Amino acid sequence: MTSFIKKREVLYMLLSRDSLSSMFRSAALLWQENVTRLGEIDSRFGDGDHGITVGKMAGAILSRLNGFENESIKSFIEGLSSDIMGINGGSAGPLYGTLFEGLSAPLSDETEINAPLLKAMFTGAQDALFEITKARVGDKTMMDALIPAVTAARGAQGDVLAVLNAAAAAAARGCGDTENMVSKFGRARSYGSQTIGVPDAGAVSAALLFEGFNNLKGGEQQ
Amino acid sequence: MKMKKFINSQESLTKELLEGFALAHGDLVTLLPANTVVNKKLANANRVTIVTQGGAGHEPALSGFVGEGMLDVSVVGDIFAAPGPQACVDAFKLADKGKGVLYIVLNHAGDMLTGNLSMKQAAKEGLHVVKVVTQEDVSNAPRENSDDRRGLVGCVPTYKIAGGAAAGGKSLEEVAAVAQRFADNMATLAVAARGATHPSTGNMLADLAEDEMEIGMGQHGEGGGGRSAMKSADETAKIMLNALLADLSIKSGEKIMLILNGVGATTLMELFIIYRKCVEIAKEKGIEIVANYVGELLTVQEQAGFQMFVARMDDELLGYWNAPCNTPYFKRGL
Repeated sequence: MTSFIKKREVLYMLLSRDSLSSMFRSAALLWQENVTRLGEIDSRFGDGDHGITVGKMAGAILSRLNGFENESIKSFIEGLSSDIMGINGGSAGPLYGTLFEGLSAPLSDETEINAPLLKAMFTGAQDALFEITKARVGDKTMMDALIPAVTAARGAQGDVLAVLNAAAAAAARGCGDTENMVSKFGRARSYGSQTIGVPDAGAVSAALLFEGFNNLKGGEQQ
Repeated sequence: MKMKKFINSQESLTKELLEGFALAHGDLVTLLPANTVVNKKLANANRVTIVTQGGAGHEPALSGFVGEGMLDVSVVGDIFAAPGPQACVDAFKLADKGKGVLYIVLNHAGDMLTGNLSMKQAAKEGLHVVKVVTQEDVSNAPRENSDDRRGLVGCVPTYKIAGGAAAGGKSLEEVAAVAQRFADNMATLAVAARGATHPSTGNMLADLAEDEMEIGMGQHGEGGGGRSAMKSADETAKIMLNALLADLSIKSGEKIMLILNGVGATTLMELFIIYRKCVEIAKEKGIEIVANYVGELLTVQEQAGFQMFVARMDDELLGYWNAPCNTPYFKRGL
């Protein structure tokens, strides 16, 4: 059946292990590029360590990727979750650790990910975070990027690339919206309306994660 | 303000400070991997044991209070950052000597997430752990919304009270109830005169003008309270003590604990001048200070300012406060 589909679509009907590896690598590299910027944003109304934590998480992804060829997709993402939980990263460690745990939840022993499964993974990440935080859209947290991303991903028509595209665009918009919000969670909360005008550091790192996922390189498929 | 600190690399701050701490107090504590500081006498403990967790950079808190009569295990994260939940679950297993574990968590976003995730895991593994949260910053939420109050220096006397109850042979549920009763009756207000730099990034935490002070700052110098021109010691003491007594509805004839915790760059000279005024105010109101501490318990790097802490006391709590203890930075009855 795939012979009727254009080449590009053939490549992305499914995410192979190589594409997944590329997804996580590009997300980690994008995080690394933004360590200083995230630290600066977080110093305004947080305690200034979000950049450091994101740098540590990027390092955890890259080192976990080294062993990916020896494990299943599920155990790779589960391992990533526990590595990130253990990095001593303030609230970001447990939050992102939980996000990755949720991503792995719908998986069993798949060797490729199709669009419905990718949507289920994103939904799993959101469900897992809903269990540990009361923050929702409008509270000026990472959830302002994540919830719109998951909603857009679930509504996306087409292949896995369409799902990743929709998620990245919605996460970026949601992150942009946090500039006009008043912080309701975490340390920034004490600053109230002074936080207007500055995006939330967690929303920025979450939007970067989805942007990185969307940057996977097609060329690595061949 | 440019950062001027005697450090080596920013990445190794926590590791190196914990190594130095453990070397300096090797008679009382052992440092295990995963940034875990353990009471050297834990192996012989035939009682409820006490675990806490939190970021580094607040020395002597939190690990400075590990030892007989206070904490048994302190799980350290990184500078101002909570540890992950797995290290805490491992600490519960290490600490439990068959009588259960009291787990004291300060109300900060990262600590609470780790606290909740480690309790979830503890329940899954059938561990006997009860969590008590310290949340007593009166500046960022009213008492009705105490879940929004941040945990400041109040964790330290809570460790002492809980440690005293545990040493007295109480059950886990009883120790937790005592710690909770104390925590429900405490209040802290912080004042800052000058901010600090984050030791890992060099970024300034809170920026105060030369002639300004701010009442109501968090653990890390986060803002949130009222800024005003610098006031005298007596005026500052009066504003802060009155706010704390009002928050706790302390009346004439009641007994309190009063702690002045210097946060790094404020001198003992200043703290004593403030303390003198606090005693005078309490006397005028007919309130008896039955327990006190003036000095540095929980610091915020080179920030100038202090935290004023008040707790309602009774004879039972006072007994636990005065019970013997031997930790690197708090000793009683030796």
